[in-house]
Amino acid sequence: ETWRYAFEEAMTDVQGVYAQKFKEEVEANTDHEIQLFPFGTLGESADIMEQAQAGILQFVDQSPGFTGALIPEAQVFFVPYLLPQDHETLVDFFRTSVAINEMFPELYAQQGLELLKMFPEGEVCMTTQEPVHSPADLNEVKVRVMTNPLLVESYRAFGATPTPLPWGEVYGALQTGIIQGQENPTFWIESTKMYEVSPVITCIGHNNFTTATMANKDFFDGLSEEDQQAIQNAADAAFDHIVEYQKGLHEESLEKIREAGGEDVQINILSEEERQPFMEAATDVEEEFIGMTGESGQQILDQMKEDLAQAQGG
Amino acid sequence: MSQHHDESQLQSQTDTTAVDDITTGTYKSDLPGFLGTIDTAISRVESVLLAAGVLLLAANTIANVVGRFVFQQSIFFSEELNRILIILITFAGISYAARHGRHIRMSALYDALPSALRKPLMIVIALITAVFMLGLAWYSAQYIMTLYGRGRVLPSLQIPVWIIYLWAPVGFFMTGLQYILTAIKNMLEKDIYLSTNVLEGYDDEEIEI
Amino acid sequence: MAITIFSIMIVLLLLGFPMMIPLIIGAFVGFYSLFGGMGQLETMVQQMMAGIRPASLIAVPMFIFAADIMTRGQSAGRLINLVMSFVGHMRGGLAVSTAAACTMFGAVSGSTQATVVAIGSPLRPRMLKAGYNDSFILALIVNASDIAFLIPPSIGMIIYGVISNTSIAELFIAGVGPGILILILFSIYSWIYAVRNRVPTEEKASWGERLSAMQKALWPLGFPVIIIGGIYGGVFSPTEAAAACVLYAIFLEMVVFRELDMKGLYDTAKSTGLITAVVFILVAAGAAFSWVISFAQIPQQILAGIGIDQMGQIGVLVVISIAFFIGCMFVDPIVVILVLVPIFAPVVNAVGLDPVLVGTIITLQVAIGSATPPFGCDIFTAIAVFKRPYMDVVRGTPPFILILLCVSAALIFFPQIALFLRDLAFR
Ligand code: NA
Ligand code: NA
Repeated sequence: ETWRYAFEEAMTDVQGVYAQKFKEEVEANTDHEIQLFPFGTLGESADIMEQAQAGILQFVDQSPGFTGALIPEAQVFFVPYLLPQDHETLVDFFRTSVAINEMFPELYAQQGLELLKMFPEGEVCMTTQEPVHSPADLNEVKVRVMTNPLLVESYRAFGATPTPLPWGEVYGALQTGIIQGQENPTFWIESTKMYEVSPVITCIGHNNFTTATMANKDFFDGLSEEDQQAIQNAADAAFDHIVEYQKGLHEESLEKIREAGGEDVQINILSEEERQPFMEAATDVEEEFIGMTGESGQQILDQMKEDLAQAQGG
Repeated sequence: MSQHHDESQLQSQTDTTAVDDITTGTYKSDLPGFLGTIDTAISRVESVLLAAGVLLLAANTIANVVGRFVFQQSIFFSEELNRILIILITFAGISYAARHGRHIRMSALYDALPSALRKPLMIVIALITAVFMLGLAWYSAQYIMTLYGRGRVLPSLQIPVWIIYLWAPVGFFMTGLQYILTAIKNMLEKDIYLSTNVLEGYDDEEIEI
Repeated sequence: MAITIFSIMIVLLLLGFPMMIPLIIGAFVGFYSLFGGMGQLETMVQQMMAGIRPASLIAVPMFIFAADIMTRGQSAGRLINLVMSFVGHMRGGLAVSTAAACTMFGAVSGSTQATVVAIGSPLRPRMLKAGYNDSFILALIVNASDIAFLIPPSIGMIIYGVISNTSIAELFIAGVGPGILILILFSIYSWIYAVRNRVPTEEKASWGERLSAMQKALWPLGFPVIIIGGIYGGVFSPTEAAAACVLYAIFLEMVVFRELDMKGLYDTAKSTGLITAVVFILVAAGAAFSWVISFAQIPQQILAGIGIDQMGQIGVLVVISIAFFIGCMFVDPIVVILVLVPIFAPVVNAVGLDPVLVGTIITLQVAIGSATPPFGCDIFTAIAVFKRPYMDVVRGTPPFILILLCVSAALIFFPQIALFLRDLAFR
């Protein structure tokens, strides 16, 4: 049988690398085939998600930030400083988190989805025209963010003017000055050459872009036990692969940017102390999150914090 | 009927943006009695939605620019509001366009046919078009029900997505209805009609192909 | 499956079905055969809705609205008078100013058809009186209106930008170079034509008259300033520039020229809404159709069939040019863009072509094709607007089409014609 798997990025980006590994594993251990559909080929994030729910696609990769429109609690991944900032701890967190491995699968199941894996895509940094060391430096700076209420609230809390803009126009808008900044994982900043038009890269450790792969639940439940196991194993193997792939990816991307951008580029990794005021701003975003999700969101948020303490303690 | 001849001069062309005065006249349904009253009323509603939709689209987009410059504040639901308006314009507009025979078609070959062939062909075209419009009305209603069940919301406005699609089944249904009426009109009358009250557009003496 | 679907679509198109129907039926047949029945038609609806979702599409109704307000008012006429006062007296000057007026109007209108109506209607009688042959005039108007497709704003470019996820701002500026090149070549041809046919020259305008024409055109000249200056000066995104044009057009025609009243504005909005709906239902149906194409992996099959991955960049550009040129000879440009862009997108990526260059070339081909017999849609607009027989409209076109094809070739081999300004503005 041929199974179909769609994701939100290009074949060479993190989701694509994950998908290719997953495909390789499944095809090696079952007699099924997987067809991959990268970004845009079957529609945007919301479209491929609906197609997975309708059973046209067997697998889909959708970032929880987008799933937030369907499962509000998934927006917790936009609350700043909930994820560990150091790579090893982060990986540990994803492996052990109760919220991720026990609570979210139930929420996804209610939407007819079998959550296979959540994994980090890379640390999100912002790119601007002028150096940023404190929220004051972001005053009147228009930063393009995705149209997500929590992301908007975050940047407002950081002192900036969040500005919505279709992704296709971001490069031009930075060039011409409609906006002065944007945020993305570093591999993305590197591959889209955002540093050419916003050469100051500032990492404040507020987030690591998280994504998730899932299967249509009816499809998954209808499979033989061996196939289910093979799929789970493939998801685990792809997770290991992506963790390995990402080790140093962030630094490597920054290095490439430094090389390609030359003198203009300035990369600032803010110190613990400098991060403090940004971390304090996160409480506003938590309130917004709980306002949107109520009791259930509160539980997820508390659990995430507990998991974070666990991972950092261990 | 003579005003319809004038109106239809530009209509069977593939022009999408020609300057036209077709829409400035007040539409009066050709349907008999009460049905005609309803049809006229629906047309009126559609035209108000079209004009209001476009004006709001402009106002909303401009407001966002002003907001960003003057108040350092973007309107976050602006994009979603535009999306709602576009759906409204599109689905109010397709049935309005059907009513006025304004859907883009490539009529070169069709026009070259003798009218004895054109008439049955027009009936077939209208009926097949109607079938697909009504089919889409049905499936878009189904789609809305599915979305209703899933509860997806618009990220900024936080309103359920299914609400913004409500115009789709209505628009498809009204369009299908218009094409059915066009087919019936062509069966009943001697002339060939592009829509219930727009006569086919060429003056044979002036255009020789 | 692909061949069956394409054949059905072409037959339906030629029979004179509303253009949305071939696309909808194409998508329907695709869904039906892919999923063995009607079970997944909701996804077809989903993709139709997705087609009209992109925020940048708002620019289409906005530019149509602005252009519609201006042609109902005085702006278009004042721009034409300005050009006339400067070049009207030269040999072939009337023809040159018609071409130039198309270029200027192209800068404010979104499409070729609007330009044919707005420029052709006032200028054709003057050219006839001056002694130009009608076939030459009609061909000039139809083909010069192509420049409107390349000079921003351009509806074709907006739709290409939306479905290929390419920056519309970059596409807009890349169209300026080829647009001006075409204007120059058309002017040279007009001059040759006028010399050979001994067309008398017009009276020269005095500097006083020129100054007055300039003064009168000052207000309408604000449009290119808003579009070009606004976008590249960092004030607007292309969509916002379109909305700003609407605001400016309303201000000019309602406040300054007092040519438009509230009723006129309402009617213009209604007419814009109608045109928008008619275009957007095609965009919606096109999106559903291209979903089927992607899902069934048809591009991979077709492109492998013609061995495109061995062709290199220039080979790919040539294939794309031919495909779009031929497509637009038969079908509305928007439909061609909707159907063909997704088919070629993977290969454009694979050989590393600049999507902005590809978009410019496609826009040019779309414009040429739509002015080319047998079925180029501009020809039919001209037939309808000027009430001339088909052969009269078509007879004078070969030299123009030849010039345009030369420009296409030049663009393929010297992409800098398009990319020079883009790089200046954005790199
Ligand atoms: Na233009
Ligand atoms: Na043209």
